[in-house]
Amino acid sequence: MSDPVQSNLGGGKPFPLATKPFAPDDEAALREALKRCSPSTFEAAVQFRKTGNADHMPAVVIGVIERFVEPDLRTKLKDAGDDLRLIEDLGIDSLTMMEIVILVEDVLQLSINNDELRNLRTVGDVKTFIDCKIRGLPLPRPTKFLPIEHIGAVMPVQPPFLFLNEASVSSTGANGKYKITGQEFFLQGHFKDNPVMPASIMLEALGQLAVLFLLEGAPTEPGKMIGSNTIFFTGCEGVRAHRMCKPGDILTLSIKPKRMKMPLATFEGAIRVGQEKAVIAEDITLTFAFVESTVAPASIEGAAQAGNGEASANPPLRVAMNA
Amino acid sequence: MPRVFITGLGFVTSIGNDAESVASSLREMRHGFELYPPFQKPDIACKVVGTIKGFSTDSVDPEDWTWPAGYEIKRETIRSMAPHGLFAHCAFLQAVKDARLQEADVSNRDTGLFAASGGSPMLTYYHHDRMLKLGPARCSPLGIVASIVGTLNFNLTAAFRIQGASTGFSSACASSAHAMAYAFEEISRGRQKRMFVVGGEDGNLGAILPFAGMRTLSNQTDPNLASRPFDAGRDGFVGTGGGVVVVLEGEDEVARRGVEAYCEMLGWGQASDGYNVAISHPDGTGSRIAMENAFAATGVAPAQVEYVNAHATSTLIGDVSEARALRSAFTDKGARPAISSTKALTGHGLSLAGAMEVGFCALAMRRGFTPGSAHITHLDPECEGLNIIRSTIPQGPKVVLKNSSGFGGANVAILLGRS
Repeated sequence: MSDPVQSNLGGGKPFPLATKPFAPDDEAALREALKRCSPSTFEAAVQFRKTGNADHMPAVVIGVIERFVEPDLRTKLKDAGDDLRLIEDLGIDSLTMMEIVILVEDVLQLSINNDELRNLRTVGDVKTFIDCKIRGLPLPRPTKFLPIEHIGAVMPVQPPFLFLNEASVSSTGANGKYKITGQEFFLQGHFKDNPVMPASIMLEALGQLAVLFLLEGAPTEPGKMIGSNTIFFTGCEGVRAHRMCKPGDILTLSIKPKRMKMPLATFEGAIRVGQEKAVIAEDITLTFAFVESTVAPASIEGAAQAGNGEASANPPLRVAMNA
Repeated sequence: MPRVFITGLGFVTSIGNDAESVASSLREMRHGFELYPPFQKPDIACKVVGTIKGFSTDSVDPEDWTWPAGYEIKRETIRSMAPHGLFAHCAFLQAVKDARLQEADVSNRDTGLFAASGGSPMLTYYHHDRMLKLGPARCSPLGIVASIVGTLNFNLTAAFRIQGASTGFSSACASSAHAMAYAFEEISRGRQKRMFVVGGEDGNLGAILPFAGMRTLSNQTDPNLASRPFDAGRDGFVGTGGGVVVVLEGEDEVARRGVEAYCEMLGWGQASDGYNVAISHPDGTGSRIAMENAFAATGVAPAQVEYVNAHATSTLIGDVSEARALRSAFTDKGARPAISSTKALTGHGLSLAGAMEVGFCALAMRRGFTPGSAHITHLDPECEGLNIIRSTIPQGPKVVLKNSSGFGGANVAILLGRS
């Protein structure tokens, strides 16, 4: 019996743009297909099928995922952002992922190749993926989960001034974590007998995550790469600190690119501790430059391959076929 | 060689969805037949089915199904099931409770599961039809494990985290008797300490109606007359489905856990007719040898057997074959056990039948009655010399023989004892 991951179930056919007019029969079929989804999911699907407007897509995709998640985990889907993980956070196994894909294919009238599914690890990955399919854009590189060793190897900043323990980078942004150990050298004086993480260092941490995004996630030009020693801080606006952060706190950092035009890249950033907001920055702007990608495959493609290699070693979509 | 005991039972059957109601249906000889709505069409001659009550599994989508209150089953568990997977899952939960097993008793390397079902023709058809019409990309990833033969063992082994032996048995209407037999072997050879034996069938149009092609179904329209094994007027079997779970445990486990067993499984025998793919040997040769082998394996003498739960399905040929086998195995040896076929009440459960009827025997032994053979008005003359009891005897048998026969002429005889 063949392994469905290996077989080409999706057929790899090019996605047929919704050219066929949306008939009452189609609406009935759609209603049946989405009968266990929320009414708003059905509405969004109808709108998408009628207009082809991709803006309705996220509501459909989230609605379909929600339908397959056990009821007690559904609240997570409501509150959480795009970095919510399908397997670890939502308990979706590879077979459920296939059920989701089949329903999404059916509802949005598109065709998804199994190979394309393997790297979808977060809700954001799924949304971006479907969005690209609908708009006919090239598929984004999958979210890469970078351990500290990898971060240390690519970053121009090094300990004791590196404030990232782990990070994930996708084409739409980056997320990271840093635990304040209490051993940071500056806490000896900030403040006297009262160690508090300086707000400026928290901004630095967000800046470092943005640097990591430029090196690991940002689009480049053919034959070029962003030089790690070309990236510098230029400005920062709309910064507000909401909460003191102290040893033992785990900072959850996220940045999203807002504008990118050589030589400037502007990000929005936020730091949370658990569910509490700690710092937000509306604009963090870095300057960067391209360099000849003499070792381009190693840095960009190679990293992507490393991501893939990691995925095949521990693929999120490994279908358990013992048949 | 450790002795093997039946310590737990679970039932979802046409005559009741728990041990209590099954016992009273057997004792009072209440059948579970109804005019089955999907069969009430001019081109379908067969009308009566032993229906499962309290469950709704007509839909091909498990998420549409409903079941009696008290069973909590997640979507993740039910999505890969056939209707009989649901029946058996509920029966399994009953059996675990009945045997007073803890979670750790169920999931360990010394506990296994053998199952038998004919798969799910309804779901096989649905998924194939969908594949051919819409292409394989639109097929459920779980269509295969929900429908092929083996679906029962796949699903229950996974759902209950079984870590010991697991497999399925396929000898048609002898399947779950074979499962019982080899589960006995696992324990008596010391390979496992505890075995779950599971039988199941959808019991719906897909599972039953194909037998109309063989002309083996009763076309009686009166639910009170349709299934009447050993009666001269019988005209075929009435189909049924459900799920039954029997817990077998070695004597050490029974002692360690301090539970009361229903009865001991003394042993078993089997033999094949070597005759026809679907017709039983006219003289019941295979069935007779299976019984003789069971006697030889256990040292039980025919005269010790107090009750025979016959395979008799109410078909013209099958019942006569078995009657002849019983005559040579018992009457000719001077033995006269009480004989009945509980299929007169339940209908024929196909792969489910063996485990279901062993469950009935265990229940009758513990509760002290011997179920009668219902719906006999004119005993078939072929049954002369056999003590076919037409009403329930208010005493439980001490030694029971359970016959099962399946396509290909497979025959299994199981011996149970209670001191």
